[in-house]
Amino acid sequence: MTPAWTLISAFAGALLVLLLPARSAGMARVIALLASITGALAAAAACLAKLQQPDAPAWSFDRPWIPELGIQFHLAANGLSLSLLLLTGLVAIAGVLFSWNVTLRPRAFFAFFMTIIGGVYGVFLSRDAFLLFVFYEIVILPKYMLIAIWGSTNREYGAMKLTMYSIGSSALILIGLVVAYAAAGGTSFDLDYLASVKYAPALQFWAFPILFLGFGVLAGMWPFHTWAPTGHVAAPTAASMLLAGVVMKLGAYGALCVAMPLFPQGFLEWRLVIAGLAVVGIIYGALTALTQKDLKFVIGYSSVSHMGFILLGLATATHWGLRGGMLQMISHGIVAGLLFGIAGRVVYERTHTRDLAALGAFDLWRTLPGAAFAFTLATAASMGLPGFSGFVAEISVGIGVWKSDPWLIGPVAVGIIITGAFSLRAMHRAFFPVRDATAPAAAMLPPLTWPEISAIALLISASVAIGVYPMPWVTLIDDGLNSPLFHSILALP
Amino acid sequence: MITALVLLLVAVATEARTRQPIAMELAITISCVGIVGACAALNFCPAHAESASTLLVIDPLARVFKAVVLGLGLLAVLLPPARREIAQPGEFHALVLFALTGLLLTVGTQHLLFLFVALELASLSLYLLAGFSRSAKAAEAALKYFLFGGVSAAFFLFGLSLIYGFCHALTLSAIAAALSAGPLPPFAAVGLLMVIVGLGFKLAAAPFHYWAPDVYQGAPATSVALIAAASKAVGAVVLVRLLLTGFGEAAGSAAWGLMQPGWSLWLGVLAAVSMVFGNVLALAQTSVRRLLAYSAVANTGYLLVALSANGHCAAGAALFYVVVYGLATFGALAVTAAVERERGDDSLGAFAGLVHRSPLQAVALLIFLTSLAGVPPLAGFAGKFIMFGAAMAESTTHGTPGLTWLVGLAAVMSAISLYYYLMVLKQAFVREATEVAPVGLSTSHRLALLIPAVLLVALGLFPALLLSPLTQALLATLR
Repeated sequence: MTPAWTLISAFAGALLVLLLPARSAGMARVIALLASITGALAAAAACLAKLQQPDAPAWSFDRPWIPELGIQFHLAANGLSLSLLLLTGLVAIAGVLFSWNVTLRPRAFFAFFMTIIGGVYGVFLSRDAFLLFVFYEIVILPKYMLIAIWGSTNREYGAMKLTMYSIGSSALILIGLVVAYAAAGGTSFDLDYLASVKYAPALQFWAFPILFLGFGVLAGMWPFHTWAPTGHVAAPTAASMLLAGVVMKLGAYGALCVAMPLFPQGFLEWRLVIAGLAVVGIIYGALTALTQKDLKFVIGYSSVSHMGFILLGLATATHWGLRGGMLQMISHGIVAGLLFGIAGRVVYERTHTRDLAALGAFDLWRTLPGAAFAFTLATAASMGLPGFSGFVAEISVGIGVWKSDPWLIGPVAVGIIITGAFSLRAMHRAFFPVRDATAPAAAMLPPLTWPEISAIALLISASVAIGVYPMPWVTLIDDGLNSPLFHSILALP
Repeated sequence: MITALVLLLVAVATEARTRQPIAMELAITISCVGIVGACAALNFCPAHAESASTLLVIDPLARVFKAVVLGLGLLAVLLPPARREIAQPGEFHALVLFALTGLLLTVGTQHLLFLFVALELASLSLYLLAGFSRSAKAAEAALKYFLFGGVSAAFFLFGLSLIYGFCHALTLSAIAAALSAGPLPPFAAVGLLMVIVGLGFKLAAAPFHYWAPDVYQGAPATSVALIAAASKAVGAVVLVRLLLTGFGEAAGSAAWGLMQPGWSLWLGVLAAVSMVFGNVLALAQTSVRRLLAYSAVANTGYLLVALSANGHCAAGAALFYVVVYGLATFGALAVTAAVERERGDDSLGAFAGLVHRSPLQAVALLIFLTSLAGVPPLAGFAGKFIMFGAAMAESTTHGTPGLTWLVGLAAVMSAISLYYYLMVLKQAFVREATEVAPVGLSTSHRLALLIPAVLLVALGLFPALLLSPLTQALLATLR
């Protein structure tokens, strides 16, 4: 099975769901689940094949598309793409499972959901700048619709804000890409070709920040992160999982695999600025999360903080840092999906509140033990405790920072400590409240359903698997980082 | 070519002779037959021909755009005008065919005086069409359109006379030969500027766009569809032909830091003003027709960005975009007309819950507006990306793209435009309707929605289907 099946299964799933007759709308979720599983299996098979035969020629699909401008329909996958494809597949399955109870216009819901998944797969597979941009923008409208129609708190505002930030960031990316295209002679949009051209240093100095900022906005880079918490809170559970889990990764992936290889000298000039913004993001996101009253806002701001680690890893321009950034993308994708799933679906569906104080009254550790257990594990993963994926990622980023800019390690450590503080605070208040012994005991809540349990189990086992045995992922990532794209960036050992 | 005209005129005559108000369906059928016949005739005419006096030429560009004009005209005819709006369908459709005839002649000439006559034939018919429905708003629309149009025609003609005075030639090739001898004389430059101003009125480029909102709002839907789609496409072709064939020597440059006076710079400034004006004013609209009018101004801006690059590839991309834009804006108008007929007005609120009342209309609206906003995988996205990419590539000197300032502005403005398109889509998809009675549509109205929607998706996935023939026709024509 080639990696293209990820893409095909997602878009075919979306189309099939739309074509369902109105009376069998209940089939929509089954089709979406099957399509997600197919995609995840295709990604897993491709990853396994790569691990077994690392030197086999990479799969690629290349056809002329718009010959007038040298645009090709060019898909290919290296190790970086493969690992992110697998992440997307996992989050997609979990997202469908956590949306098992959607009854409002289910066909449209799952069609939009699968379109986003397909767009994300497409970005990770594209090797042509135009194609990448097409897939990058395909997700914008479904994102808006998912939040505005199925969302909660202030949904129309949140949806519009998120959409305008997304389209604004794409405008910057468009400018950056066409500048590179024109400066490279205006003959080809092929990313490998564009990255092989040596652009004038002056051009790189002004074009790099445009392109990087475009991707950085979607990656939640401080101070352009405000769409993320608002949008994630307004979104329905599955959309929050997708947005935080994989769509933000599009920004980080683009920064790593498009912006940096295209303008390496520009990147080295601006490296410290990015690192500074990333560190501010880590600390600011964590401090803000510490003061939130809404459980979903805590998770939303924790995403800003965690995405800061990714950008910091990239900004080190070291092999360790880039690898750590990639690991953090995968780790945060899994953990954020898990946290949003538990808070938005498992808990909210039963208690109808996300307010930390109000949740305390439900005595969740006793009335909903499954959720409390799962959230404890997810919090541990989010804090980066050893044995979970977050630890591997953060330690790699830390080593990268130590090699490039040792003085930055202090603020990073402060950020990690505050992360622990806000995670424990939220978990404690929501699930393990200190209760007055005389207060009447809260009634038991309905236990977890099988879709919820399977989704939680899938994500937790993925996080633990990476935490305990990260080698396969590291091998995949290193395969991508050793490609010629990154030669000029990884000047430092 | 001549056959095409004859067929159209026969259709006109048939309709005009029917004194009594003939049935709407009959009028539509006759018009369709005329247009299809004209298309068939187009198919048989030779690829290259010039009539003796070089008044009319048939070159690849003219052939392609005659087909485009006929196609857009056919769509406009398919859109049935409301019965209460149009008392005499026979005369109305006769005027539509007159307007189409004028537009067909306009794309097929490179003689400036004949160009003016053909353009005025089209314009006069369009003025009448704008005011056909006898409501106060339509009268206001027609009067504004006529006054602005008249002034622009005067500018155009005066510009032509200045050009003639200094070049002693009226055909574009002769003008190009006259200009290649030396620098553009200042008065000829003024003449060219006036011609561009005149065409700017036709294209609704800011600051010459003041007629557009009222015409879009007040005129019957069919007339607006003609003005917005077919007439704009023709305006773009005329501009491309005029500037690239006749005045290639007088381009100047709009590149940052290397600016030189010339039409390239003027178009760049017009483009910037149009994009900013159109997009910012569209944000505040509550009437969807007015919103589409300001979006038309903004889209003219994107078009002029590509033209100001002064290159064949960018011009081909601009022509691709103007066709795609015509399809999308026509479709949006068709949905608006249907909603208006049912709810009585075209305010944003009238679109509430459209997806429950008529899924077909809602999905079609989604396709049209997202194509206008430039969201993939629709043709509007491909068109914008190709225009901007080609404009950048053709303005590159010493490895630095000169038009970054303009393309950057265009990209940002295009992002802003998504906001107001989403305001409409939000009503249609997110808000609940006050009543959910399903809406029926006539077959021809259904076709008028389906054809552009399918074309936009197809051209979005395979832009080369239209882009390649257009670029080749342009290259073969301009050589």
